[in-house]
Amino acid sequence: MSAPENPAPAGAPPAGKPPEKKPPAPSTVGDVLKGSDIQVGGKYIGWSVRDEVRKEGGSGGLVTSILAGALEKGLVEHVVVLKKSSQYEAVPVLTSDVEDVYASAGSMHMLISNPTKYLRQFQNDATIALAVKPCDMRGIREQQKRNMIDLDKIFTIGLNCGGTMMPYKIRKVTEEVYGVNPDDVRAEEIEKGKLILETTDGEHHAQSIDELEEEDNGRRENCRYCVVKIATNADLACGNWGVMPDYAGKGTFVEVMTEKGAEFLRNAIDGGYAELKVASEPAAEARGKVNSIMLKMSAKTKEEVFVPMQSQTMTDLKKELENCIGCGACRTVCPPCACGTEAKCTAFNDPVDNYDISLFHMIRFLHLMDSCVGCGQCSDVCPADIPLARLYRKFANPMQDELNYVTGMDDRTPPFFEIKLEEVQ
Amino acid sequence: MSEVKTTAASSCASSGEFVPKIVMFCCNWCSYAGADGAGVSRFQQPSNVRVVRVMCSSRVDPVHIYTAFLEGADAVLITGCHIGDCHYVNGNDKTLVKYKFIKSMLNEMGMEDDRLMLRWISASEGQQFAEFVTEMVEKVKALGPSPLRKDGVV
Repeated sequence: MSAPENPAPAGAPPAGKPPEKKPPAPSTVGDVLKGSDIQVGGKYIGWSVRDEVRKEGGSGGLVTSILAGALEKGLVEHVVVLKKSSQYEAVPVLTSDVEDVYASAGSMHMLISNPTKYLRQFQNDATIALAVKPCDMRGIREQQKRNMIDLDKIFTIGLNCGGTMMPYKIRKVTEEVYGVNPDDVRAEEIEKGKLILETTDGEHHAQSIDELEEEDNGRRENCRYCVVKIATNADLACGNWGVMPDYAGKGTFVEVMTEKGAEFLRNAIDGGYAELKVASEPAAEARGKVNSIMLKMSAKTKEEVFVPMQSQTMTDLKKELENCIGCGACRTVCPPCACGTEAKCTAFNDPVDNYDISLFHMIRFLHLMDSCVGCGQCSDVCPADIPLARLYRKFANPMQDELNYVTGMDDRTPPFFEIKLEEVQ
Repeated sequence: MSEVKTTAASSCASSGEFVPKIVMFCCNWCSYAGADGAGVSRFQQPSNVRVVRVMCSSRVDPVHIYTAFLEGADAVLITGCHIGDCHYVNGNDKTLVKYKFIKSMLNEMGMEDDRLMLRWISASEGQQFAEFVTEMVEKVKALGPSPLRKDGVV
C-alpha cells in the first residue's frame, strides 16, 4: 500500500532498509527496453540510472528521472516540485532548475493540497510537468472540460494513492500514540496496513492503520471512501503496487495511458535517465489485487459514512451548516470550481437574506453533484469545521451512481451540460 | 412579540387551515397560453399559485427555484412545451436535465418528492393546466409547510 508518493519524485527509503547502504543494483532478469519499445497501454517496471536518485528515491526514482529528463530535453519548460518545510509539510514550487527536481525527494503521505487551482494561473503561459494524485488529476480534467486548463500544455505523472493524512494530526499521533518526538521522525512509509515511522536513531515504530483510524487518527475521511486509487486518468500511471519482491524498493510500476506519456517515457530512456523492463503478468495482477483490496476498503467506509446520512433530515442539514461564517474558502480551494471571482454562488448570495441554508451552499451542492472529485480540501480549510466533503459527496453519490459517471476520469461532458439532441431530431 | 411571531409562522388563513403558497414558472409559448385558456374556458382552479412567465422553461435557473423555496414557497412547479415542440429547439431538454439534478438534490436534503414538479402543458391544454394546479394544491396541503421555509416567514 502506498499513499501519494511525493508529487515530485521519489519516495523515502523503504522501511526496513538503513539509508546509508548503497542502493542495490536493479535486477537483471529480462531485457532493458529501448525507447521505441514503449507502447501506449504497456506496463513496465522502471528505475533511474543515477545512483543518487535511486538512493534517495524509495521506488527506484523513476518519477524523478522522467521529470528531470523532460525538463533537460526541453519537452516542458517547468516542473512542479515539492519543497519540504518539515517532515510533515511541503509546498508546491514551480521550477525550471533540474537540480531542484533531483533535490525534492522523500515520500509524503501528508501532502493534502490539490494543485489544480495553482496550475490555472500558469497554464496559458508555459508547458508544465508534474506528478499528481488521482484526485489532483480529476480536478485538472474537470477544469479542462470547463476550458480553464489546456491539457496539451500539461504533462502529468499519476501516482497511486491509498490516502493522505493531515500533518497536524500525524504530529499529534506521533507524540501520543507512538510516543516519539515528532521532530525526530526522519521518514515514514505505509506497508502491509501499517504506518511505519523511522526516527533519526534508525529505529522503526509501527502502528496498524485500521486501529489508528478507529480513533480517527489515520487517513483523512474522504480518502477512506475514495474510489480512485490508481491515476489512470493521467499520462502515466506510476506506483509501487505490482512491483514484485525482486524489484521491491528498486523499481516503479508504470502503465502508459496516453501517447504523450509514451513520448515522455521514450525521452527518459533515450536520454539516459531511466531504464525500463516489461512488467511480468503476475506483477500486473498483483497491482490489480492491491487496487481491488483498497477499493473494497473504500466501499466499506463509504457504506459506514453515507448509509446513516440517508436518514438525515433538513433540520440535521441546517444544524451542520449553521456555523458557516461565509468565508468562501471551500470554493477557493475547490478543484472543479471554474467560475472565477464572479460566480452564481457568490453573486446571488446575500448574507442579509439570513436563510437557514444560504444560497451559496444550495448552489454549491448542486454544482458539485456532477463535479465533486472528492479531494476533501473543503473540509480541511473550513474554519468552522463543517464536514463539507461529506455533505458534498452525500449529494453527489446518488447522481453519479445513477449516471454511471466518475468525475474527472475521462473526457465525458459533465452530465449537467449533457443535452441530448437526438430526441429532437 | 411572540404573539406576532406565532401568527406569522403558522401561515394560516383565519380559519386555521394551512394555505399553501406555490410558485409556478410557465413557458411564454405554451403553458402561459394554456393558463390563459383555462381562464377563458372558466375551468375552476385554486388560487394558491403565483405564476411567473418565462420565455422558455429552460430559463428557470436553479437559483430561481432555491430562492422561491428559501423565501417561503411550499412548492415550485415548472411547466413547458412538450419535448420536440420547444420554440428554441431544445430548451425543454435542458430543463429536463436541470430538473433531474435539482430534484435529486432536494430529495437528498429531505424535501418531499411532490414539492418540485415539472409538467409539459401545451397552449391548447387549458383543462390539463387547471387539473395539474388542483392536483398539486391538494398534494401540498397534505404535506404541510415546506421544511426549507424559515420560521416566521409568512
